[in-house]
Amino acid sequence: MTTSAANPATTAPGIPGIQQRVAKVAAVAAEHLSRTDREAVFPVEALDEMRDTGLLALLVPVRYGGLGGGLRDLIDAGIALGRVDMSVAMIFVMHCQQVAAVVRYGGRPLCSELLPEIAAGRGYLASVTTEAGKGGHLLSAESALTRGEGQLFIDRFAPIVTGGEHADGFLITMQSPDALSPNQMSLVYGRRDQLTLRRSGDWQPLGMRASHSVALHLTGQVPEHQLVGKHGDFRTIAGTVFVPLAHLGWSACWLGTAAGALSRVLKLLRSPEYRNKANLDSELLLSRISQARRRLDVVRAMLEHTHRMVCETEDLSPPRVQLMLNALKITAADECYTAVDSLVETVGMRHGYLKDSPTRLEQALRDLRSAALNYSNDRLHLADGRLALLDQEVRFA
Amino acid sequence: MDARFTTMLVRFLKFLGDRPITPDSPLHELGLDSMQAIELLFAIEDMFGVTLSDEELHDATFATAGSLWNAVAALLTAGGVDADQVDAA
Repeated sequence: MTTSAANPATTAPGIPGIQQRVAKVAAVAAEHLSRTDREAVFPVEALDEMRDTGLLALLVPVRYGGLGGGLRDLIDAGIALGRVDMSVAMIFVMHCQQVAAVVRYGGRPLCSELLPEIAAGRGYLASVTTEAGKGGHLLSAESALTRGEGQLFIDRFAPIVTGGEHADGFLITMQSPDALSPNQMSLVYGRRDQLTLRRSGDWQPLGMRASHSVALHLTGQVPEHQLVGKHGDFRTIAGTVFVPLAHLGWSACWLGTAAGALSRVLKLLRSPEYRNKANLDSELLLSRISQARRRLDVVRAMLEHTHRMVCETEDLSPPRVQLMLNALKITAADECYTAVDSLVETVGMRHGYLKDSPTRLEQALRDLRSAALNYSNDRLHLADGRLALLDQEVRFA
Repeated sequence: MDARFTTMLVRFLKFLGDRPITPDSPLHELGLDSMQAIELLFAIEDMFGVTLSDEELHDATFATAGSLWNAVAALLTAGGVDADQVDAA
């Protein structure tokens, strides 16, 4: 079995121009990142570049006008953008996660309407999965979708919607019509002009400031063909697309952010003005650089292994497979943050702690602090403990 | 399905309400979360004296009451116990 369970559009790497498109977006992100971070505003210029370069359609099949990319391309783009700006990288991979869900589970009318729009640069998708009071649980929803006369009626509040004010459309999880319980969920697409959006609250976080993740109340009605997958079957979409793409995509962004930080530190240490002042023979310095590099190599190895596992595994539900997917997320979150934290110690106050240092460690550290919280590592450890009990032979995926 | 099996399942299905458990009853939708899967396995082991292998612990096994019972019944049959006899017990 070589077809990706998470993305049927997996293709050979190296689609012409993808790297160049990513590089263009990264260049625009670099130009604006200090302002978007300082003012906690969405990186509209980088988003515009994603629209103009066609990168928004990375995972849209070629027959719909997209680039026809696969997981390999998504991971590489996440790392490359993460090296520059973690907010931009996360915005991009989360959009791709939504696109992958539509490609795999959207009906033909929805795909025919939406995917060419994304390919034309007019379809930036945000995800509406959070809900007040459910503590980040992906697989339950209190707000119920209702239906009548071929329409689905949406009335949904979400405390965190990354890019919500700039998205052209939303994939929204809600309790299914006639659900037996909050666990029976549907995923529905809502175009911005089909919905009334009310924003509440302010966005002033520690890091990830350019991700502009606001609270939104969405109301409106959409035709029934905008249902993604079957009513009550969001669990399948989560298990086959949302979770694997989230863990792979996020880890790629975090690895990129930490790799960018390490790279900038190494360039600083080797620069003519610095190398004469610093003692590059310092055993403490060398050990700390070694540790930071080792942490990133571990994450890279896990990312590659998990990517291969997802591509080659038909059923991602067995405990050993889930454990690997979760281990990647937990390890990438912890190790990338720890690597950058140790780099702050390594270079000290001037280049480790101040905003204007070319190392940009200060921002990388703040941004990476979100990694363990972005679907909480604590929650994943609880799940993993139980999953481990279900795999008493300890077989590895 | 064995009556003891369906009775045991009830306490894991917090959204079951007054509905009867049928082979098509969807376990996750009725409230079985992955956190409880281990407790459910222990309950099956204690009641029927069979252990589901690691290989059987995937979503398809836990999809419905019927799919889970089929996995248990197969072990009972393999162990020389007639699942119908259990049913009648």
